[in-house]
Amino acid sequence: MIAEYGQLALTFALCISLALAIVPLYGSFKGHQTALQLGNPLSYALFLLTAFSFWALSYAFWSNDFTVVYVATNSNSLLPWYYRLTAVWGGHEGSMLLWLLTLSGWIAAVALFSRSLPLQFQGRILGVMGLIAVGFYAFVLFMSNPFMRSLPYFPVDGRDLNPLLQDFGMIIHPPMLYMGYVGFAVSFAFAIAALMGGKFDSTWARWARPWTLAAWMFLTLGIMLGSWWAYAELGWGGWWFWDPVENASFMPWLVGTALIHSLAVTEKRGTFKSWTVLLAIAAFSLSLLGAFLVRSGVLVSVHSFAADPDRGLYLLAFLLVVVGGSLLLYALRMHSVRSQARYELFSREVLLWGNNIFLLTATLVVLLGTLFPLVHKELGLGSISIGEPFFNQLFYYLVIPFALLLGLGPWVRWKQQQVQPLLKPMSLVAIATLILALGTLAATQSIQANLALLGLLLGAWVGSSAIFELLQRLQQFGSVKQGLTKLNASHFGMTLAHIGFAVLVVGVAMTKTYSVETQVRMKAGEQVELAGYQFKLVEVYPLNGPNYTGEAAELDVSYQGDYVTHLHAEKRFYTVQRTVMTEAAVHARLSRDLYVALGESLSDDSWALSLYVKPFVRWIWLGGLLMALGGLIALCDKRYRRKTAPGELKETADA
Amino acid sequence: MRKLAFFIPFALFIGLSVFLFSGLFSNPMERESSVIDKPLPAFALPDLQQPEKIWTPDSVKGKPFLLNVWGTWCVTCNAELAYLTELREQGVMIVGLYYQQPVDAAFGEVFNLAALQQEVALKLEQQGNPYQWNILDKDRTLIFDLGVTGAPETFLVDAQGIIRQHHIGDINPQVWQQKLAAAYQSLQE
Repeated sequence: MIAEYGQLALTFALCISLALAIVPLYGSFKGHQTALQLGNPLSYALFLLTAFSFWALSYAFWSNDFTVVYVATNSNSLLPWYYRLTAVWGGHEGSMLLWLLTLSGWIAAVALFSRSLPLQFQGRILGVMGLIAVGFYAFVLFMSNPFMRSLPYFPVDGRDLNPLLQDFGMIIHPPMLYMGYVGFAVSFAFAIAALMGGKFDSTWARWARPWTLAAWMFLTLGIMLGSWWAYAELGWGGWWFWDPVENASFMPWLVGTALIHSLAVTEKRGTFKSWTVLLAIAAFSLSLLGAFLVRSGVLVSVHSFAADPDRGLYLLAFLLVVVGGSLLLYALRMHSVRSQARYELFSREVLLWGNNIFLLTATLVVLLGTLFPLVHKELGLGSISIGEPFFNQLFYYLVIPFALLLGLGPWVRWKQQQVQPLLKPMSLVAIATLILALGTLAATQSIQANLALLGLLLGAWVGSSAIFELLQRLQQFGSVKQGLTKLNASHFGMTLAHIGFAVLVVGVAMTKTYSVETQVRMKAGEQVELAGYQFKLVEVYPLNGPNYTGEAAELDVSYQGDYVTHLHAEKRFYTVQRTVMTEAAVHARLSRDLYVALGESLSDDSWALSLYVKPFVRWIWLGGLLMALGGLIALCDKRYRRKTAPGELKETADA
Repeated sequence: MRKLAFFIPFALFIGLSVFLFSGLFSNPMERESSVIDKPLPAFALPDLQQPEKIWTPDSVKGKPFLLNVWGTWCVTCNAELAYLTELREQGVMIVGLYYQQPVDAAFGEVFNLAALQQEVALKLEQQGNPYQWNILDKDRTLIFDLGVTGAPETFLVDAQGIIRQHHIGDINPQVWQQKLAAAYQSLQE
């Protein structure tokens, strides 16, 4: 019965979302106070019903209710309880329900935290989010119902969760990613609500900023976790594949990053307005495009859910309505909005404009690379594929000017900056950069003109510039100690996120340049040397897990005779899905990872093993983590919690 | 003008949607072969059973034939041998292109021609021999030039050495009737 209650709750939720899409919007145009005030309770009800429905599906998984088709296809009675619960979002239907849960969660959060906004504006935001919700709730209920039963002929046991998804990274990767994707719906709703009102002042940007930051933070974490999962689970030491679905998450991230910066300009200087609104629309549109690409089977990808043209058609129609409609509204409304602020050529405005240009170019590169094969084929020009070299090369070219600008950006004032006062601090930063980069390279490898040196230079430039700038800013408050308490959280967050970017760049460049790997054949007791490390295969023995069998290998690693660590690599055979999975053994240090994947059993008791030494690979995820942390700190800025001043309130209510 | 500029994002999006729409109705896994209506790529490869004999595009052409990429290691290829043999008995000329899997010296593997010849002869004796002769592509150069993605694959080549059809997967009575038979007949005339 629980599953039926879940479906019932979801049906009620659809009705509530319809009401949410109509009532507050009606109220906002007719000036009907009660209708506007209904937005809040409707939002809470939507969230509670969806949460109940999600709980019902989780319960079906928990209790191994294989009469529910979705449970039978994605779980198994032998699956450990924590994977049974995460299997809820292991397939298309359940992941859509998770999508609904995050969407309704964001809606409830907006209702809860924007009570200080003018009622009319808040009503429009909730109304727009309600419109989006209607589309998704209808999609889940009518086209991908997770509660469908297979009675009376139901399977005795389930087909098990895809072994690739039986991993800790997978438990939290999709929720984080969806929080990010769907979070951009809030920025989108803010933009559309403002377009309806036709008023774009700096207050609007200040309201939209924390929501955008929160969504961006979750998306950063989600992408980072996905990359980490791929590294640990796919068994060949890669961390980014330029797979269409990865690209689908990377595009909203790039645009979201541009949006955060553009919102800063709009808030502080009241300019870049039409640009910011377009970015807010674009970030969510790209999230929707991503959902379409993953769930329609238009592109070939390891992530794709089972393709169904009907679902694809629905999502495309939805995309047309939401994105097409909002872009049309944008075209009709935005041209009359003019920015008044003036600024000189060398000013923070122009540098942030440069930041946006590079981020948008990067987005375009990813978009073209992802969709070009599709367009090429549909034009009748045959099949092509675009792979890593294309993306890598273009990103090398993009990152260099981007990082140079990023090192300079925080130093430059709004409106106008004289060159003279910057010469001294910037040369100090440049000297620190050279020392840091060359020093690191000399200490870990050898000094050569290569990608690693370039990466270190760029990383050190961005990183030391960020730190120096922070110190200088702190000193302006009298002393560093005083500054620590007085400087606002936004600034700390920005600095941390920029340092995160520097760390990421260093990690990528070092890993790309100095990773070494080898495929070897080993017997127990044999030893292989790689990059100075001796890998000794101690033993290989059979393995018996709850829902898998397999082999495990034990290795001892030493460096120049000194014992370093013990590694345990597994190769699992999941009996229900009949799939072989590698569980790589990883010994992680900041300066390098040792990575071992157990391969096939060969004749005469020997085993194929893949060994990798990957310098600085941790820095890639550390960089992502620092960026997300920076976002979190910026989110804590007091400014965003301050109640709206009465003057501002009136100004927008007139709109 | 300024007004129109604000319609650019909308126009771009509509343009993109057209492709997304048509993409819904085609299979992304499907690929068109790039070698159709092109002459056989240049090669000079030995005969599998008589390695002193070297085959080139010029020496194989003259009559329409099927070029069948196969290997004893490939289960599907073994399954289609019987039907291909039937086709040979009906007068279809079939040439084998033997797909030798890479030999990994690191794992102590060496290429042994005599053993391979014996293995192939035994296999063809048991399952039926559809081939006029077999070309050995030890380093998979011709296989690469033909854009082969796996075995079995079959090319229909006309009397002038021009590739007319490229079939991925096994040949069974249904595939033969629907895809290849008519084209083969028309080349005969």
